Amino acid sequence: MDLENQKRVKELTEKYGAENVVVLIGAAEAEAAGLAAETVTAGDPTFAGPLAGVQLGLRVYHAVEPEFKNAVDADVYDEQIGMMEMVLDVDEIIKEVKTIRDQYCKFND
Amino acid sequence: MTNTQPNKMRGGKQMGKIKVVHYINQFFAGIGGEEKADYKPEVREGIVGPGMSLNAGFKGEAEIVATVICGDSYFNENLETAKQEVIEMIKKYKPDLFIAGPAFNAGRYGVACGTITDAVQKELGIPALTGMYIENPGADMFKKSVYIISTKNSAAGMRDAVGKMVPLALKIAKGEQLGSPEEEGYISRGIRKNYFAEKRGSERAIEMMLKKLKGEDFVTEFPMPDFDRVKPNPAVKDITKAKIALVTSGGIVPKGNPDHIESSSASKYGKYDIEGFENLTSETHQTAHGGYDPVYANEDPDRVLPVDVLREMEEEGKIGSLHRYYYATVGNGTSVANAKAFASTFAKELVADGVDAVILTST
Repeated sequence: MDLENQKRVKELTEKYGAENVVVLIGAAEAEAAGLAAETVTAGDPTFAGPLAGVQLGLRVYHAVEPEFKNAVDADVYDEQIGMMEMVLDVDEIIKEVKTIRDQYCKFND
Repeated sequence: MTNTQPNKMRGGKQMGKIKVVHYINQFFAGIGGEEKADYKPEVREGIVGPGMSLNAGFKGEAEIVATVICGDSYFNENLETAKQEVIEMIKKYKPDLFIAGPAFNAGRYGVACGTITDAVQKELGIPALTGMYIENPGADMFKKSVYIISTKNSAAGMRDAVGKMVPLALKIAKGEQLGSPEEEGYISRGIRKNYFAEKRGSERAIEMMLKKLKGEDFVTEFPMPDFDRVKPNPAVKDITKAKIALVTSGGIVPKGNPDHIESSSASKYGKYDIEGFENLTSETHQTAHGGYDPVYANEDPDRVLPVDVLREMEEEGKIGSLHRYYYATVGNGTSVANAKAFASTFAKELVADGVDAVILTST
């Protein structure tokens, strides 16, 4: 995750509290999605950005995960994400992000 | 008489935590990317950036006491001064161990890490290591003189890199015996060590051969050096207008070998004029090469350096022209480094002389 976005996530979390923040990611590959998820939960794995060593433990989902998909209007989802859902390796992305969430997310829900 | 020294180890050296100084670039220090690459060396007490990960890995056995930060451009553009500045900063902390990077595939960062690790070892006598991707130019430059942990090509491989750097760092700091590159995860330094094998050579060779025949994995006991692969240039657009030069590693020299090019492990090359030569003969030329039967090359040197055929092609308009000079050396056992150095010198001359293409002949 680039340094600017890390800074934004950090500031927003400080402002609203970790329990009130959900991070939604849209990375096209499982590895990138996993790294972004790790950054906002366990801290920046590259140790280069503002979240290096900062364990926010935020709720984090990828846009193709069922938790998000089921929470939004199906028509809008279809229109906005349906196409990408067909071309992405959805299973791989879900597996990666879920693994990170299970391991580092502070909130059990 | 009381002379107990309960806190001291034998030899009088107090063994506390291993003191570590860490080197990183401006990016990993969170200062900025390319726009901040001219950042001058700075030292901060304690841990910055990836040092957090290393320090956690040390589990109290070692501790990063200071972090030196330097911009990649600044370091590489002011190599000597930057190196000295950084060395002075490190020296002040009298560390037991120095770690640079990991640099992954960042070229200038890798060169900086290699340079400074090498200098810390040589000038300060402090054990040191770094980490980078095998294709980082710094790896090739320093793998023989310093321990470089082989990392992935991007910072996404930080955890993996740290997981390998920490144990090796502790071993180096404690002066423990190190295992092979495969065991420890560092890039091979080209050093061979003797050991006692359970089975004799013939048995091991046959086992290896059987595995090879079955298509199974096997580990050679005599790894070949890695040569870099050179991508071919695009095809010559119009060969009938091209100026062609001849270059050979087959040792063809004017009779008597005026430059005394060695018959093996050549340390030089020759540049020879072939203006007016339609054909090379045993009267005019010979081979200096000591690695093949020279009879046929001496009988007719065109067999190795085909001046005769190229003259015909020049006449028939099949090529534009044959360059006036040819370059020759002996490839027999000549080091890749020498060969590269020869070529990088005369390639410039060839380009300056307007040569469009080169035919390189061997033996």
